[in-house]
Amino acid sequence: MIRETTALMVRELKHWYRAKVQIFMLLIQPIVWLGLFGQALPLKLPPAMLNGAPDYMSYMSVGMLAVTALFTCMFAGMSVVWDRRFGFLNKLRAAPIPRGSIPVSRILAAMIRAVISALMVLLIALIFTHIPGLAGLTVTSNFDILSGLGMILILVLLATAFAAIFVAIALTIKTQETLFAVINLLNLPLMFASAALFPINSMPDWLQAVAKVNPLTLAVDGMRQLLFAGSIGIYPLWVDILGLLTFSVVLVIIGIVVAMRALKEK
Amino acid sequence: MTAIIEVKDLVKVYNGSIRAVDGITFDVAEGEVFGFLGPNGAGKTTTIAVLTTLLQKTSGECKVCDIDVSKHPTEVRRSIGLVPQEMTVDDDLTGRENMILQATLYGVDMKVAKERITELLALVKLEEAADRMVKTYSGGMRKRLELSEGLIHRPRVLFLDEPTLGLDIQTRTTMWDHIRDLRKNSNMTVFMTTHYLEEADSLCDRIGIIDKGKIMALDTPIKLKESLGGDVISLKISGEMDFTEPIKSVEGVLSVKKEDGSYRVKVFNGETVTAPLLQEISKRGGSVTYVSLERPNMDQVFLEYTGRSLRDAEQSGSFDRMAAARQMRRSS
Repeated sequence: MIRETTALMVRELKHWYRAKVQIFMLLIQPIVWLGLFGQALPLKLPPAMLNGAPDYMSYMSVGMLAVTALFTCMFAGMSVVWDRRFGFLNKLRAAPIPRGSIPVSRILAAMIRAVISALMVLLIALIFTHIPGLAGLTVTSNFDILSGLGMILILVLLATAFAAIFVAIALTIKTQETLFAVINLLNLPLMFASAALFPINSMPDWLQAVAKVNPLTLAVDGMRQLLFAGSIGIYPLWVDILGLLTFSVVLVIIGIVVAMRALKEK
Repeated sequence: MTAIIEVKDLVKVYNGSIRAVDGITFDVAEGEVFGFLGPNGAGKTTTIAVLTTLLQKTSGECKVCDIDVSKHPTEVRRSIGLVPQEMTVDDDLTGRENMILQATLYGVDMKVAKERITELLALVKLEEAADRMVKTYSGGMRKRLELSEGLIHRPRVLFLDEPTLGLDIQTRTTMWDHIRDLRKNSNMTVFMTTHYLEEADSLCDRIGIIDKGKIMALDTPIKLKESLGGDVISLKISGEMDFTEPIKSVEGVLSVKKEDGSYRVKVFNGETVTAPLLQEISKRGGSVTYVSLERPNMDQVFLEYTGRSLRDAEQSGSFDRMAAARQMRRSS
């Protein structure tokens, strides 16, 4: 099980780092967001409104990390559809491997890609702060190794949850066009009905209710508490992490069950 | 001869109405090269999909290596190799990386795998391209890599689904050589499908002719051709004289048809009848200006058993549509 899963995961990761353009496009997006969107929308909000972030760009940068993880996981779904199209999935189905290794390897690969991409965006945001004329992420907390590990843990849990959703969806949905439609249907509400880009207290009540149970909200809420001094979260940090853990465990289980059903011979 | 593939009354119905495989029964002996010949949509790929555990049968019984395909799919998967119709090798990996991945998936020990990979890549003449990305390969190279992938775990039965589909004549001949080599050097059983008559004729020990989900005939290529009832000798004799009666008097001649100055003589065994026939004609004062011996080919066999030529079957639109529907189902 472990041997096959690792082999398949390595294959996915090789695809990823060999597709330089894909990585470039993925990173260009947050750069454009940070560089343009932040400039065009100079929200002047007090740190109290921003989870303790010193300025809106710092606030949004954290959101960008989570959104990058979301978008990267989305691509994991695309590769599943391609593999089906080229018969690679059938080749795996004909091999004497536990079927579970197919979704698990993909979820793991997507998670690793998502975390690496998010960390690259973090680096970009940190650099942007020091470039005159640009704005980025200013860390105000006493950031130590423990906070660093906390950030990675949050990103890992968030990415695992999303990867599981998208891999399961892609294994169930057979065509690329339908998958695109479904992904879009999921992505935008997930992104906007959360605390990723805008503070939720200015949202209408119903949207706030949705945003409060969105895993993106939990992730950014947790990360902001780690990055900004005096950040008062929507939830305490441990609730954020426990919530994300629950999300990822439940979604991975659902994802694997759905994937196994989709892979079963008819 | 022990049967390594046993199929009994296999039926596969898609969407509750399309009977892709309609009650077929056959055995394949160990070490045999067995071919399914039929047009697109005849049920060849569906049969392979059931035998390789990719598809659940509707009814019937299938055993591969004495293991029930539906009851113990994982055991079956371990002992078979599959070279599918589509090119499934990974474009973004090198040839060698593809082979290593395949070896891992089939649980081949890495040390053993490395040796075998070198050996197999040499066999299919890909050693020089081994460390290049597969996306730089030609169609024939991909197919050869695909074939060697199917051999990495030394399967007892190798399934080849249309191994030369879409390849040019030269590459096709190379593939044939590889398949012949396999047969010569190991006791591996090969189950292949094809819609090329010459391919079935030249490679297979036995051929099942399949059309509309049913096996119409099953025998060795020679016997199938013999069953058509003999060879045809074509003759041209100069002069106005009619030689029909003298020809008929020769032993072994079944029938004669005359068109202008040429005769089509159907005989039981062309090789032994030709000489006496020519002697008889010259004895009667005829001078033969042209003679040819035609043995029945697989095309005629196909025509005989299905009532249509393979090309007609391929062109019939409804079949293509059904094939397309199946293709879509299969990929789902």
